[in-house]
Amino acid sequence: MEKIKLSCAKCGFVIEEYTAEELATVPRKAKRYQYLKNKSSICPSCLASGRLQDVRVNEEGGPAVAAGAAAPASSTAAPVGHEEHAESPTPMMDAISQGRFPSHATELKKTKYPVQMYEQALQQRRTQWGYGGYVSLPGVASGVLVRASARPEITKGSNFVRIMDPCGNFFSTASMRGLCDIADKYAYGLLHLLSTGGDLELLGIPTENLKPAVEEITSLGFDIGSTGDDYRTSEECIGPAKCDLTLYDTLGLRAAWYKRFLDDVQYPRFPHKIKCKFAGCPNDCVRGCQKADIFLCGVYRDAPKVDQQKVAKWVEAGGDITTVCSRCPGQAMQWEAGKGLRVDEDSCMHCMYCSNKVPGVRPGGDRGVAVLVGGKLRGKFGPMLSRVLVPFIKAEGPDYKEVFDCIEKFTEVYDANARKKERVGDFILRIGIDEFYKLAGVEPSPQLLKQPRTNFFCHWEPAEVKDERRH
Amino acid sequence: MPGIGIPSLEASLPPIVKRNYGKWTSHEHIRPGVIKHDAESGEACYTVRAAMPPNARVSTPTMRLLCDLADDFSEGFFRVTQRNSIEFVGVPVGRIEELIASLAGHGFPVGGTNRSLHNMTCCTGYMHCHLAATDPAAIVKAVSEMLSKEYETDCLPAKLKISGSGCINNCGEGSCADIGIVGVHRDLPPINAEKLKGCELPLVISVCPVGAIRPKGPGMVEIDPKKCIHCPACSVACAAFAPIGSANGDGVAIVVGGKSGNTGDGPALAKMVVPYLPNNPPYWPEVTETVRKIVDAWVANAHRDERVGEWINRIGWEKFFRRTGLPMSFKLVDGYDARSLEYARTNVRFRW
Repeated sequence: MEKIKLSCAKCGFVIEEYTAEELATVPRKAKRYQYLKNKSSICPSCLASGRLQDVRVNEEGGPAVAAGAAAPASSTAAPVGHEEHAESPTPMMDAISQGRFPSHATELKKTKYPVQMYEQALQQRRTQWGYGGYVSLPGVASGVLVRASARPEITKGSNFVRIMDPCGNFFSTASMRGLCDIADKYAYGLLHLLSTGGDLELLGIPTENLKPAVEEITSLGFDIGSTGDDYRTSEECIGPAKCDLTLYDTLGLRAAWYKRFLDDVQYPRFPHKIKCKFAGCPNDCVRGCQKADIFLCGVYRDAPKVDQQKVAKWVEAGGDITTVCSRCPGQAMQWEAGKGLRVDEDSCMHCMYCSNKVPGVRPGGDRGVAVLVGGKLRGKFGPMLSRVLVPFIKAEGPDYKEVFDCIEKFTEVYDANARKKERVGDFILRIGIDEFYKLAGVEPSPQLLKQPRTNFFCHWEPAEVKDERRH
Repeated sequence: MPGIGIPSLEASLPPIVKRNYGKWTSHEHIRPGVIKHDAESGEACYTVRAAMPPNARVSTPTMRLLCDLADDFSEGFFRVTQRNSIEFVGVPVGRIEELIASLAGHGFPVGGTNRSLHNMTCCTGYMHCHLAATDPAAIVKAVSEMLSKEYETDCLPAKLKISGSGCINNCGEGSCADIGIVGVHRDLPPINAEKLKGCELPLVISVCPVGAIRPKGPGMVEIDPKKCIHCPACSVACAAFAPIGSANGDGVAIVVGGKSGNTGDGPALAKMVVPYLPNNPPYWPEVTETVRKIVDAWVANAHRDERVGEWINRIGWEKFFRRTGLPMSFKLVDGYDARSLEYARTNVRFRW
């Protein structure tokens, strides 16, 4: 069987691997192969930049060791071990351990974490950790990071692994105990249960233990990824698993997203990271409009459904309908005892407030997904909210093809036009929103706008003007 | 080896969720920390929510203990929420009090639902980060202790979310929250000539948002101290600009009024109200005091269902600064790009 490997020209790190058959028969793989081959990439192992090398290997029988990937000399991966640190006093951490709320300081002390790193940081009012980077591990392009240490006498540094969270962040105790065992066996024995990006992190895995640790994690059914310039772990709200307001199946959509885009989560190839978040309704419990480069938000287009009997019952039982009517952002609701609740469809902006507060008011039935892009909390120009790209698409399972095609089209535009290390929001700001709409190929619609422009400086193409004096 | 994707939906969901997946009809808050969901089948699902250590840092012994509780009370499943609380889903109604007492006995207070302080999120800070300008985990712990009554009772006008980030990279989501505590650097990044050889100079120069980094001879750059805005963009892009931070330069900024929901005034990013407070471990008294002032002013003056940002939108920034007693300064406006005029008022509808 002939295998085609795209590897770093400098260190030989294998970025992607295909069989000859795949390239001939699967257009998606072939396209990706061409794409990666023609593009200048940064090697996740040695951080060298340049065109990838195309290595063809004939592998007979069992899986052979990937050529070149055997032992790439890595400058960033510090040899990490659990150094013994002296039993020094920790007055600051002891102070933080006090009180009614659970404390991270108490937790750190129960593990092999080098507590003096934290204690010294608090005493000196300055972090004791140093610059980090990616760790090269054959076959793993994303998911392992190293944090160097500025205090080598306490610890030399620490590798950590990012594990993608399961659906709805539900864990069975069996799988969690498995993760605990791995953490005890290979790492500090400290879990970062949910990073704000939506990953579970295991800290302090020595470099020589990384491979067995990753293998045990995957054999437990979890997967790693989400570091570097790729899709980061996507997050979804609890959706149909436990919420009565969700407008589409967020958990199903996320599972389908991973089926389709897993390669892009585990192999960095974009100009910068892309964070995807999926919220079931405009309440946006995942904070997608602030944090996500691509944000899918459940929306509905018709009026909210009012169950008058249920509402009347709720009001009788002491429900505060006056506050709800007065706090409705569109002033769309009117309550009259005896006549019931009236919702003015022209004023309703489908914000979910009434549905949150009144049990008898439910979202309407014409449901779909809005795609917003460009939210971020830093990047070059600081925090930005996301902007509407497509106001409404039907979200239909099981593969959500229409929604994901839209995302893919957008990432291609971003990939082709953005500069390196430029988040989506910064990219849109740089090229201008009108140009961006044009590139993205979206239909003009009032749902995209906050307001039309106040100046008159429109650009007209000669073809639009049809005036001989323009030429 | 990687490439298997996330665990399947089937394997991750508890039985009560699988039975009623997508068939929930309504929810209500039974008491702080306990939510009831009703399903079409008539089944009721009780969820108990408890606080976890800041940054969801849990040691394996503690995790095993929580697993034992989940085995006992919620059919062997639990979930971690977006705000780093732990939720036991499907607790039998008769055993809720027992679970709450058991959690409290192990040091996990139950609360953080509805009109209360929701569990505070933060980033890793001094624990495991090279960019941290402050330690949000310790600050979050101190603020939680101060607001423990607000966490355990429904006594606020609306929900209150407080988040802490160690630096302006905002991994801890300070800018998303009603009150955000964000670490800020004030020192200039160093330039390590040796490490600079490993970086791409065009990238290093272009990551700077204000153009403060410019070439200085072959293979070397310099930083203009007059232009630097202390975003650690260069330190993230290239190891030559690390380490940044100093004991007296680093500190904390406070932002208010962020929210993501479309209710009320819609999604908003938090706005800065205090540009700098010193780092003062282990309890950060200046920070907790400022948070207290903002919370007290909000509780005393806000209408029902009015989040911090919506309260400020109604009363205006003049009244906000007067009610909280925070000092005003021109550090709160930003003049570095085309959007700078957005910060200046264009009407005379003053509130005196």
